[in-house]
Amino acid sequence: MTTLRAAREVFGFFGRLAWKTGKTRVFALLGLVPVALAVIVRILSHGRTGDMAAVFTEILMVLVLQFYIVILALFYGTSIAAEETENRTLAYLITRPVPKPAIVLGKYAAYCALMFGMVAACLVPSYFVLNAGRLGDLAVTRAFLIDLGVLGLGILAYTAFFTFLGTWLKRAIIVGLIFGFGWENIIQYFPGSTQKFSVVHYLKSLLPYKPVTGGGGRGVALLLFRLEPTPPLAAVLMLAAIAAGFLALACWLFRRKEFLPEE
Amino acid sequence: MATVREKGYSHWDGRLGERRFPCWPITRTGVQLAFKKKTFRFFFAMAYLAPFAALGGLYVSERLEDFKALVKSNKALLSIDPKYFLGFMTNWSALFGLTLVLVFAAAGLIADDLKHNSLQLYFSRPLRKRDYLAGKMAVIAFFVLALTALPYLILVVFKLIFAGNLKFLAAYPWLPLSIIGWSLLLTVFFAFYILLLSASSRSSRYVSILIFMTYLFSDALAGILWGIFNKNPFMWLFSLRANLQQAGAFLFGQKLPLAIPAGWSFAVLAGICVLSAAVLSRKIRGVEVIK
Amino acid sequence: MSAIIAAAHLSKWYGNVLGLNDVSLEIEDGITGLLGPNGAGKSTFMKLVTGQLKPNIGAVTVRGRPVWNDPAIFPEIGFCPEHDVFYEDMTGREFVAGLLRFYGYTQAEIRQRTARALDLVELTADQDRLIRGYSRGMRQRIKFAQAVAHDPGIIILDEPLSGLDPLGKRKLIRLIKEFRTQGRTVLVSSHVLPEIEALTSRIVLIHQGKILAQGDISSIRKLIDSHPHQISVRSSDPRALAARFVADASVEKMTFAADGRTLVVETRDRDVFFGRLTGVVLEAGLAVDEISSPDDNLQAVFEYLVGK
Repeated sequence: MTTLRAAREVFGFFGRLAWKTGKTRVFALLGLVPVALAVIVRILSHGRTGDMAAVFTEILMVLVLQFYIVILALFYGTSIAAEETENRTLAYLITRPVPKPAIVLGKYAAYCALMFGMVAACLVPSYFVLNAGRLGDLAVTRAFLIDLGVLGLGILAYTAFFTFLGTWLKRAIIVGLIFGFGWENIIQYFPGSTQKFSVVHYLKSLLPYKPVTGGGGRGVALLLFRLEPTPPLAAVLMLAAIAAGFLALACWLFRRKEFLPEE
Repeated sequence: MATVREKGYSHWDGRLGERRFPCWPITRTGVQLAFKKKTFRFFFAMAYLAPFAALGGLYVSERLEDFKALVKSNKALLSIDPKYFLGFMTNWSALFGLTLVLVFAAAGLIADDLKHNSLQLYFSRPLRKRDYLAGKMAVIAFFVLALTALPYLILVVFKLIFAGNLKFLAAYPWLPLSIIGWSLLLTVFFAFYILLLSASSRSSRYVSILIFMTYLFSDALAGILWGIFNKNPFMWLFSLRANLQQAGAFLFGQKLPLAIPAGWSFAVLAGICVLSAAVLSRKIRGVEVIK
Repeated sequence: MSAIIAAAHLSKWYGNVLGLNDVSLEIEDGITGLLGPNGAGKSTFMKLVTGQLKPNIGAVTVRGRPVWNDPAIFPEIGFCPEHDVFYEDMTGREFVAGLLRFYGYTQAEIRQRTARALDLVELTADQDRLIRGYSRGMRQRIKFAQAVAHDPGIIILDEPLSGLDPLGKRKLIRLIKEFRTQGRTVLVSSHVLPEIEALTSRIVLIHQGKILAQGDISSIRKLIDSHPHQISVRSSDPRALAARFVADASVEKMTFAADGRTLVVETRDRDVFFGRLTGVVLEAGLAVDEISSPDDNLQAVFEYLVGK
């Protein structure tokens, strides 16, 4: 079986399985919080579309970009190798005629699709609720679709990095948390090219954001402090390169490594 | 009734002696297991950086003459009072560091028992549910007290030693009680919070993420709600960190960071503990019910 | 006959712990029992044969091909792991069918093979229940089903009978023996001697990472010179029989069994003893009811070699 075909079969196997687990339900529920927020804001701020757009951007930027997709990618990315080792189910996969990289690629694709589904389920209803008065405006819809696409790229990049971490390290969660919520936040305040050593920099370069006057949480203004954006095409290429590079490293490592369960 | 002694056994007529602290073996094992991990030992050691920095501040405050240049710009920092201790004990990094240590030490406390079906083994011994939970909570209590009450009470002693008199204690006699009270509050809260999440899954890796996720998410959510609802301070009740800091400020007799009564924060924290107690009571049982 | 599975100077370390120590072994067609106490290295050997581990020294091949990172070999191999682990959120049918996807079968073939495998292990009625709700025996059977669903020529079974009730064990033993008649190669590991004896007389005895013995149980027994053979003779007058052998140099020890009719003789030369026995019985006119070798079995071989 070719690697691509095998990856497709692995995608099918884990794609079905991942939707059923309790953990997916918990993360999906978490994604409904922005929807609930959107409904509450809509009810309380009836008629003020300008504020609605700003609130949607805040939900997108703060909660989804810097929290939700990072948490999802951290859990599912590290799970690709770690859950098979922890649960001792790796034997079922590597004693099949499936090239080892196909296991990584297939699970990666399955989990990215799942995560994108959860993010979309979070953002699409929020968008509709908060932009109900402007649904006819094609420019707004286009901007939303671009935002979704950018978040998709973020999922691909973060998940690839965490997949590599999970394949390489035993305690990948801690390192991942320090990276996702430590490094990614702190590095944004560094000037010059230092910011380019993060994933969030390229994502924010693709998501133009204007601070709202008189509103916005305290954290939001700090997010954009010192952002020196990379041109959009370069940002997209970098994100794709990050995803491809770390995924390739993860595949290479997975092929070479022996996975021994912790006794 | 005839006995069956020739088969090599006989019915035992004695009374089963009860241990005074049946939870102690569980606590001891939990603490030992945590210290076996190299990464945990590193993060546990790192958590003492803040108390060492505070100690440095105490030293400098008693040697102001020698540190004139430093003092010039940091006079406020070197005023050793309950606010100084509050600052070190309740700041964002202290709470985050404590959470990190507890993730290592305690995420798998119940999760690993669920994974390995150990509950049946525990409850086939003369151990009650409350002994089991007390043992697990004592593991968390050990680490929280080791990182809060212990170093900061020692710092009070160091302050008195550096000063060479008891003026500091005379000025703030309730400070040690505040430190103990804050440490106990953290102990009780984190014990219930961590065990609630640890009992929710068989995967300690997932529990680690859940602990951070709920801690960080509550903060992010509170910030967003605060921004959306015209900076209403009550929105910060959604944040675990903000509630802890509010309660801490109250215990140290300082100005509350949020413009709401401290009772609300205590109520939120107590509510989480009650919820946890209810869930743990249901979840921890010797027999697994399979649907 | 060329070996199906061949190991040459195979060694495997886990950090400082030696799992396998210079193991050279050839496994041929039919059923081979891999026997050893817990921690002997049976699972390590099986993991090396199924490509889950990489040898530190030496090589292991299946049909002449190295296994490590060679997925093309796996249509030939079916593996039933020791541990009781599954994708618990799947039903039995989904589990078997899902793993069959990796062989490139069509949907119709997958359905057919799944049904056949589940029927083989008598789990058709429970196929749509979640595995987390299965009993221990059902879990063991579904594990076996996934190992054989793709009709492999080589079946590697790590403690396949653990968790099964006596009836379940008998059925599975019968199934494994059928595989032999179908021309398949089966490598079975166990630490339970009667299970191995019921399956095969060809064994590999492993202890502390080393191969202690390999071959037919009786042939191995013959080679164990350090322990005299036991021969039990039940007759009408065991004491008279004993009197005839007291002076015989080939006899090392004689004991009388509790039933009062059996004489147990220990000798280093069975053939010489049997030769003399027939003559003595005829001379003395004794009626012999039974002659047997109490230690010509796996238990005795195991105890003599392992020293337990």
